[in-house]
Amino acid sequence: MIHLDKVSKIFGSPPKQVEALKNIDLHVNKSEFIIIRGPSGSGKTTLLLSIGGMLQPSSGVVNVENEDIYLLNEFERTKFRASNIGFVFQMFYLIPYLNVLENIMLAAGLGSNGARQRKATELAAQLGISDRILHKPSELSAGERQRVALARALIHQPKIILADEPTGNLDPDNSREVIRILKEYHQTGGTVIFVTHGKDADQFADRIFYLSKGEIVQ
Amino acid sequence: MLIKLIYKEILHRKLNFVLALLAVTIAVAFFVSFFTANDASKKETIRLTRDMGFNLRIIPGETDMNKFWTEGYSDLTMPEDYINRFWEFKDYSFAHLTATLHKKIIWNNKEVVLTGIAPEIEPSEKKKTAMIFSIEPGTVYVGYELAKDMQIRQEDSIKIFNRYFKVNKTLSETGSIDDIRIYGALSEFQDLIGFKGKINEIMALNCLCVSPDENDPLEILREQLDQVLPEAKVIMNTTIANARERQRHMIEEYFAVITIFVIIVIVIWIGVLTMINVRERQKEIGILRAIGHSGVRIFALFIWKALMIGLLGAIIGYATGTILALKFGTGIFKITADSLKPIYSLLIWSIIAAPVFSAFAAFLPTLSAIMKDPAITLRKE
Repeated sequence: MIHLDKVSKIFGSPPKQVEALKNIDLHVNKSEFIIIRGPSGSGKTTLLLSIGGMLQPSSGVVNVENEDIYLLNEFERTKFRASNIGFVFQMFYLIPYLNVLENIMLAAGLGSNGARQRKATELAAQLGISDRILHKPSELSAGERQRVALARALIHQPKIILADEPTGNLDPDNSREVIRILKEYHQTGGTVIFVTHGKDADQFADRIFYLSKGEIVQ
Repeated sequence: MLIKLIYKEILHRKLNFVLALLAVTIAVAFFVSFFTANDASKKETIRLTRDMGFNLRIIPGETDMNKFWTEGYSDLTMPEDYINRFWEFKDYSFAHLTATLHKKIIWNNKEVVLTGIAPEIEPSEKKKTAMIFSIEPGTVYVGYELAKDMQIRQEDSIKIFNRYFKVNKTLSETGSIDDIRIYGALSEFQDLIGFKGKINEIMALNCLCVSPDENDPLEILREQLDQVLPEAKVIMNTTIANARERQRHMIEEYFAVITIFVIIVIVIWIGVLTMINVRERQKEIGILRAIGHSGVRIFALFIWKALMIGLLGAIIGYATGTILALKFGTGIFKITADSLKPIYSLLIWSIIAAPVFSAFAAFLPTLSAIMKDPAITLRKE
């Protein structure tokens, strides 16, 4: 499903260069729930963005769904991401001027507008935000915003969800709710890579990796 | 979805939109008002410079120029029908052709100049307003100095060589020999001084639009006259002719400088606004990329917005520019105020040019935003 072979990422140039990832070898099977834990600055987000085709490593190979994604051109990689990967971020990154429904529908590659709207409404109901569907992100609580971001990531039924500290800004109840949603997605056959500081999701994880200074240490 | 995104973003960041729209509107209004007024300005300049008088004098070829300048006219004559030769040639640069006959006489113990004038001819068939008054038979126009000296008033009857003429008008002071001139109908003055069918000058106006610095217009006019009337020669009052051309060139050069300045300012203005907008939206661009939107689509998002601003700015700018030109132009161009009218073709040009211009100004900032690695904005580490 996901193979990382000696992936390194270096930012900047000498003498100020930072090696964010160092020779990472990682194999994730289909339908696995993986947790990547590590302190701030350990390279978790860099790793996630590299897997998601958003950040080209300085060296190494990132193979997702039997595709060396950095051999694809920009257009092909965007298309690949649209049909295979869903991103969820700690900061939600919702579009401030769109309402909940429009934010969910924003994900590309869903065919007609009608189908997209039906699916977005359905997801909003499943995630308990159907009464907030016409609200702007600024009118939502943090938990609701993260559920919108989750709905946006899930709408095109991706094979992989890459979640970058999705519970980092949430209270315990909302954190549990987000983890529950991701678990449900996992149970339907989806692969989850969950980057976190905390241990709330440990009970659902198939495997847990620790990242320190750009290296997987255990 | 794209249009909806643009529309919602505009509503969200109204100030940025209004400032960008203002930039395009100002640019379009500037050009529209200039071009709308420019037409009237050209006509006004033509009228004002034309009012400076004829600048070409076509005289018999054998004229002794020493005598010509001391007397003020040629002592030789040519047949009046020479002027009709111009009907046969259309491609020349003489306008307002007027056959005249000048003769100095002693009248009531004073030296005066009799000038017979025929109605103007315009063989080019272009509709032109007459340069000089048309004189009814039996009437005369009397120069300022003469009228003052001899206490001649309008409607008076004066006797010249046993013939009576009614004074149609006494002229205002010109500070030239015209102040001691009596103007009458050509045919009557020809009879009066015994030069039937003769003239000694064709007055005209140069309508050759070449810069006095680029070419010698007189050389061109002489070549043309050689073809039409080889028996005559042409002299030009270069002061008047050059003033005409310099005025025209000055306005064109002034506009060219202002245009460059306005374009540079507006491009920078729109470019900076787009850059601010792009910087504000870095995370948005990153997330759009993350959820599967291509760089081309995101690029289109910004360029479409710029095009919309351009289109709207073109329409508002056209209306503003036209209103300004019509409102203030009538105060500036008093003689040709009536010719100030909306130029509808400028609306089409504005609609084509302003969006292109706006998209061009937004192009580089947008391109730099798209080229930037979206992951950088999404990495919080």
